[in-house]
Amino acid sequence: MGERADVWQGTLALMVLKTLQALGPLHGYGIARRIEQTSGDLLAVNYGTLYPALLKLEQEGYISSEWGTSDNNRKAKYYKLTRAGRKQLDKEAREWEQTTEILARFLAPGKESA
Amino acid sequence: MRQARSWVLRLGELFRKERREKDLAAEIESHLQMHIEDNLRTGMSPEIARREALTKLGGIEQTKENYRDRRGLPQLETILQDLRYAGRMLGKSPGFTTAAVLTLALGIGANTAIFSVVNGVMLKPLPYRQPERLVSLFLHGRETDRGVMGAADFMALDERQGAFEHVAAISPSTIGLTLTGLGSPQMIPGTSVTSDFFSVLGVQPVLGRAFRPQEGKPGGSLSVVVSHHFWEQFLRADPAAVGSSIKLDGKSYSVIGVLPLDFHFGPHNELWPILQLQPAKQRPPYWLLTVGRLKPGISETQAAADASLIAKQVHQQFPLSDDSSIIVVPLKDLMVGDTGEALLILLAAVGFVLLIAVVNVANLHLSRSGSRIHEFAIRSALGAGRRRLICQLLTESLVLAVLGGLLGLALAYGGVRTILALSQDVLPRMEEITVDGRVLSFTATIAIVTGIVFGLVPAVRFSGLPAGRSLKERSRTAASGRSASRLHGALVVAEFSLALVVLTGAGLLIRTLSQLQSVNPGFNSSHVVTALLTLPRERYANAPQVTSFYQQLLGRVKNSPGVEAASITMSLPPNLLELTNPFHAEGKPDTPGQPAPAIGEIPVGTDYFATLGIPLFRGRLFSDQDRSPATHVLVINENMARQYFPDQDPLGTRVQTGEYNPKGEWYTIVGVVGNVKYQGLGEKDQPTMYVPYFDSGWCPWFVREMYVVVRSASAPEKVVSVLQSAALSLDNQLAIAHVRTMDQLLYESVAGSRFRAVLFGVFAALALVLAMIGIYGVMAYSVSQRTHEIGIRIALGAHRTNILQTILREGASLALLGVAIGFVVALALSRTLAGLLFGVQATDAMTLALVAALLLGVALAACYLPARRATRVDPMVALRYE
Repeated sequence: MGERADVWQGTLALMVLKTLQALGPLHGYGIARRIEQTSGDLLAVNYGTLYPALLKLEQEGYISSEWGTSDNNRKAKYYKLTRAGRKQLDKEAREWEQTTEILARFLAPGKESA
Repeated sequence: MRQARSWVLRLGELFRKERREKDLAAEIESHLQMHIEDNLRTGMSPEIARREALTKLGGIEQTKENYRDRRGLPQLETILQDLRYAGRMLGKSPGFTTAAVLTLALGIGANTAIFSVVNGVMLKPLPYRQPERLVSLFLHGRETDRGVMGAADFMALDERQGAFEHVAAISPSTIGLTLTGLGSPQMIPGTSVTSDFFSVLGVQPVLGRAFRPQEGKPGGSLSVVVSHHFWEQFLRADPAAVGSSIKLDGKSYSVIGVLPLDFHFGPHNELWPILQLQPAKQRPPYWLLTVGRLKPGISETQAAADASLIAKQVHQQFPLSDDSSIIVVPLKDLMVGDTGEALLILLAAVGFVLLIAVVNVANLHLSRSGSRIHEFAIRSALGAGRRRLICQLLTESLVLAVLGGLLGLALAYGGVRTILALSQDVLPRMEEITVDGRVLSFTATIAIVTGIVFGLVPAVRFSGLPAGRSLKERSRTAASGRSASRLHGALVVAEFSLALVVLTGAGLLIRTLSQLQSVNPGFNSSHVVTALLTLPRERYANAPQVTSFYQQLLGRVKNSPGVEAASITMSLPPNLLELTNPFHAEGKPDTPGQPAPAIGEIPVGTDYFATLGIPLFRGRLFSDQDRSPATHVLVINENMARQYFPDQDPLGTRVQTGEYNPKGEWYTIVGVVGNVKYQGLGEKDQPTMYVPYFDSGWCPWFVREMYVVVRSASAPEKVVSVLQSAALSLDNQLAIAHVRTMDQLLYESVAGSRFRAVLFGVFAALALVLAMIGIYGVMAYSVSQRTHEIGIRIALGAHRTNILQTILREGASLALLGVAIGFVVALALSRTLAGLLFGVQATDAMTLALVAALLLGVALAACYLPARRATRVDPMVALRYE
């Protein structure tokens, strides 16, 4: 166990979308913290990699950004889901579930020996 | 979709970098601050809180760099950066840049110009609706490969064929129609066509209408469709002129339509009168050019098979005629004719010039990047990859190529105009020769390809050098290494062999032209003016009317001051033979199975031979005593006497002359004159018969269109006005046309050869200059690189003439090797020129030797300057230099 898994790109995008759906508009730091917490600290998010991912999602039109003020009265850039982003999240989540289901069947113990 | 959207956004980022940079900095900063605050809250010291936040982020600069890569288009930014750098580098060496751009511009410009011509003449579809379905039809039989049709053939086709939407016949009158009633009488170029002509082409008049079927029937009303230009010039561009009448050849035609401004078919035609064909009583004469529009889905082969069946029926109707089939050729092939081959050869030649230009620029580039080797070593030591360096060099050469291409395009615009001026009556479809989209993409393609080609040579060479070595050795010695100079040498060799090929082609074509111009046409051309006169059938219906007109006209002209002699003729030397006729000599059986030989027969006035200075060898010339209707006499040329009467005196022999002699009259040969060229200066001497124009078998039917020839010491304009006023005083409805001096006709008759010789000559000059610049550049560079070595040699006592010889020998051996290789290539390729040559073999030793000597001389001259510079090297300076 001990080692913490790296996040790969496609998954990171899905996590970002899910986080924004769950928590509503949020800044980059908040998203990073949330992903780390949700993963139960199993994932090492290099916060820096988050920003290109956010930019990519924004260029693709799945999220939009806006400068706002944080709880501590600090200026921060807030990201929120767009309609396209919501649809994309549904789609990717479904695909992800299918993939894991299929893999789970493969890895289920004892089946193939039958 | 999403992909495209993000590409567009990323492209947009190129233009608002600054704002986005600030934005990014602020975002990262706010991220760090929030993280530090959180860390402080957990009790870290400010110092550690900050470090932890930075570590977690993965470094500010890395984050920004990753972000930037995603934000814009890093590849594009690299290219822009390369472009800026290339611009700076080229700006820093204006000499190199100018030389390279000019060289490329010449190469690309010449290619673009010739390609424009090839494109306009050969590649563009014909400017009519669905041109791929347009074809022309020819009789193909024992007597002719590709013969025009008679009225019987065309009318049967028009009536019975099923493979064409429409067919139409064209009467290819070379002369035109006399327009009267609108100012002084004028000859206007025009061609009669049957009623479906415009339906075949799919062309609609812009004003009025095209022909109706009933107008094409005999007895239908005479109508004419006019060109836009004619409408403007003669009908005051008046829309109401449609429906009015004009007088053509003495008959009243109603103007029914005006064609679009850009309509053209064949060379300059202004009038398209209706051609009304009479039902034929016999199959000949053959005089109609037939065109048709294939029905959709019908192939040319099917159409030919279908039409051949109809030709068979026509043959059954006229069993004496040739049993011909019909062949169908694309109309475009007919229009392009045989100019295609010459154009492709020109394109190949100009392609060679471009290759030389490319080699030249590659050489320049190589020398220059040689002196930049240090720079590349440093850049590669600092981490620039091989790919990156190649890209940089390629960008520079592409910038050069694009600049060269743009300038070349400007040259091509001028070049096309010059070519058009030079190619009067040489090229078909001249109206369509323009610099269009296809030409532009051709230019763009060759510019980019040349850029890559000459850029890759130095790029590959220098990017491969190990950085450490070049850094240590410093630039100069590294660049002058053995492999570099071998590469330079190979390029020079290539240049010289290419130049030799182009020069050989030019030499052969120039010799062809000079041979043609020195051909003896068989007559004295100086001080002779010619003009064409057409007598309308209505007013000159019988022989006395025609002969009395000509007698009076020639009488008046001869009596004018300065006129030495004047006469008339149906055919004009050097290349206007109007008619050939089969003949049969008395007492000589025809060779069975072979048609009687058809040779040129020319009705002439009595003084024709005196006017042109054609010598009489035996017997007598025509005289007024021959005017009796029962007298039929002929004068033949020397060639005919030799060919057909080798062992007998032709004088007094009687011959029958073919198709135009229904009564089978016998003609007595009374004289033998010198050979005259009537089928071009390049043709072998042909047998010719002359008949008096007043002969009762010929007059008046065949002699209403005659050339007047006048010998006079006065200025040609004066002779023309004498002729004009004499004609008008006899008949104020006559127009004289096709006014030329004999010398002009001779000059024009070799226009095609001149066109090819001049263009090839220009390309050869370009090739020569480029090769000269090339070898000069390489030798000068080599000398400058070897200053040190030369200095040592001189210091060790080498004589200066030795140095001079060494350098010259080096240059000459490169040139010699190039010339030798070029020799082989030229011998292999010059065969393709054979069809365009006259009086010179494709492998003419003299031309090859001259060309080789010229190239070697040029090479030595180009090497002399650098060689002399080498002898002036001061050993002290050279040695200290290092």
